[in-house]
Amino acid sequence: MHPLNWAIVIVYLVYVVVDGIRRSKDTHEIEGYFLANRNLPWWAVGLSVMATQLSAVTMIGTTGQGATDGLRFIQFYFGLPIAMVILGVTIVPFLHGARVFTAYEFLEKRFDARTRSLTSFLFLLSRGMSCGTIIAAPAVVFSAIFGWSMAWSVALIGVPTVLYTMIGGVQAVTWADVKQMFLIVGALVAIVVVLVFKLPVRPDEALHIAGATGRLQVFDFSFDLSKTYTFWSGILGGTFLMLSYFGTDQSQVQRYLTARSVNEARSSLLMSAYWKIPLQALVLLIGVLVFVYYLFQAPPLLFNPAHERLVRQAEPAAFGALETRFGAAFTARERAARAVAQAEDAGDAAEQEAAMGVFRAREADVTTVRTEALAMAARASGEPSRDVNYIIPRFVLDALPIGLAGLFIAGVMAAAMSSIAAELNSLSTATVIDFYRRWIRPEASDAHFLNVSKLATGVWGIFACIVATFAATLGSLIEVVNRFGSFFYGSILGVFILAMIPSSRGPGAFFGLLAGMATVFAVTVGLPSVSFLWHNLIGAVAVVVVGTLVSAVARPARG
Amino acid sequence: MTPGPSSAPDDGGRFRLTLVRVLAVQVVTLLLLWWLQARYGR
Repeated sequence: MHPLNWAIVIVYLVYVVVDGIRRSKDTHEIEGYFLANRNLPWWAVGLSVMATQLSAVTMIGTTGQGATDGLRFIQFYFGLPIAMVILGVTIVPFLHGARVFTAYEFLEKRFDARTRSLTSFLFLLSRGMSCGTIIAAPAVVFSAIFGWSMAWSVALIGVPTVLYTMIGGVQAVTWADVKQMFLIVGALVAIVVVLVFKLPVRPDEALHIAGATGRLQVFDFSFDLSKTYTFWSGILGGTFLMLSYFGTDQSQVQRYLTARSVNEARSSLLMSAYWKIPLQALVLLIGVLVFVYYLFQAPPLLFNPAHERLVRQAEPAAFGALETRFGAAFTARERAARAVAQAEDAGDAAEQEAAMGVFRAREADVTTVRTEALAMAARASGEPSRDVNYIIPRFVLDALPIGLAGLFIAGVMAAAMSSIAAELNSLSTATVIDFYRRWIRPEASDAHFLNVSKLATGVWGIFACIVATFAATLGSLIEVVNRFGSFFYGSILGVFILAMIPSSRGPGAFFGLLAGMATVFAVTVGLPSVSFLWHNLIGAVAVVVVGTLVSAVARPARG
Repeated sequence: MTPGPSSAPDDGGRFRLTLVRVLAVQVVTLLLLWWLQARYGR
């Protein structure tokens, strides 16, 4: 990469750390360190909420998904605006009004200490591991693209983030998120502009060509529980997933607990309600346009350079033959794509249909060769190829002008760091408030808790970096933890729904939570074809049903 | 003891207005996506 690009990345990293340390002047008590004295403006909190949700996976993986699969993933977010409005009138006023540090602290006020401790423990377990994977995702890509060791890639992203989060607390996290969000959106918009100028066809023709491959197929109205991305799974399952994430996950709850008032907290969530779907559409559209770009510009057979090197060493003759076939298939596809553009210009419907048919056939030829190459890469590396995650980074480094590539790499780091910082901050909050202050040293001074909070942030940061560094070897363990996380995400939402039902009681919440997790586990094992988006709905309903029944039984005994 | 939300008398009306606004924006977004699919997604 050009030195100017590196200069942009380094300036960004130094600025984030220096600005974070500057923010530490406002955090002398844990209320300031964890909640910014509940005094942040709604727009800063709103941008922080969006930045926390937008990770490096969005910048690298989702754009790549747009290139290979098109726009259909957008359906995943259809429930988000509905969830935000529901949260604005339900959980947000309860949590903000309760003056709590963590969402789980509220559950002790409403139910009992064991429900609080269990939900907080489940959060720590799940988020502690996922924080490592959030660092690992971009680190793996940087490692392959730039040839760095995994430890160095992890350190480059992890160390500055841990530093500014540990020293500056939530103030540093939120104000860094604000700047990072501008950087991310700026990088995305710049890529779209560059793509439009670099394509050898008009945008209208580019969309016709992409549409011919099904990449502009947004809606799938089939009610098939085994399909992950359908209109119904997005609207129903997605709503419950977003309710769980934004309503009960401390990494998000803590963002809006810092707002000045309930109304400002609501407004911060509504920012996502308005902007998330258009932003996600932009991200996917970039992928679609990159796909069109590589119809006219020869792409590498494998986008992952590390895998390409491995395959060349392991099967040089077979890979060479495959590259020859790929070159021929690419040339034929390029001719077919130009024919589609010419037919669109001519305006003859029959000619357009014929050109589309030829183009689809040539696209299928390219896909066949690429599939063989991916299988070769999987054999040589002993891991799934995940080539999709390397499409955009390769495009950025090969095609973007000097300066913009650096801006994009800084944008990917910003996306990763904003999510990691929010998670470290919330992990520290839950550790100190829900366990250390609740069970170990309830009488200690505020200054003591502040020091312990900084220490906890640092320890969680080191833990996340270790998990990220060994992510490849810990792969199956991380998958187990993530799968375990999906068992209780909807169930915790169910406990919060129970909290709003006046007749529910502590035993109902506790045993309802266990029953919800058991139900999702049973569905996962018994009906593995049911997509994970439905698990949250199933878990939440099971908790409410069992919790209400147990509460009804428990009430006379208590009375 | 359940801590109650800080509510104002016009909360219901404000919620309905917000819901209508958010849904209106979403409907416009979905219509745009639908147009994109209908125009280009053969």
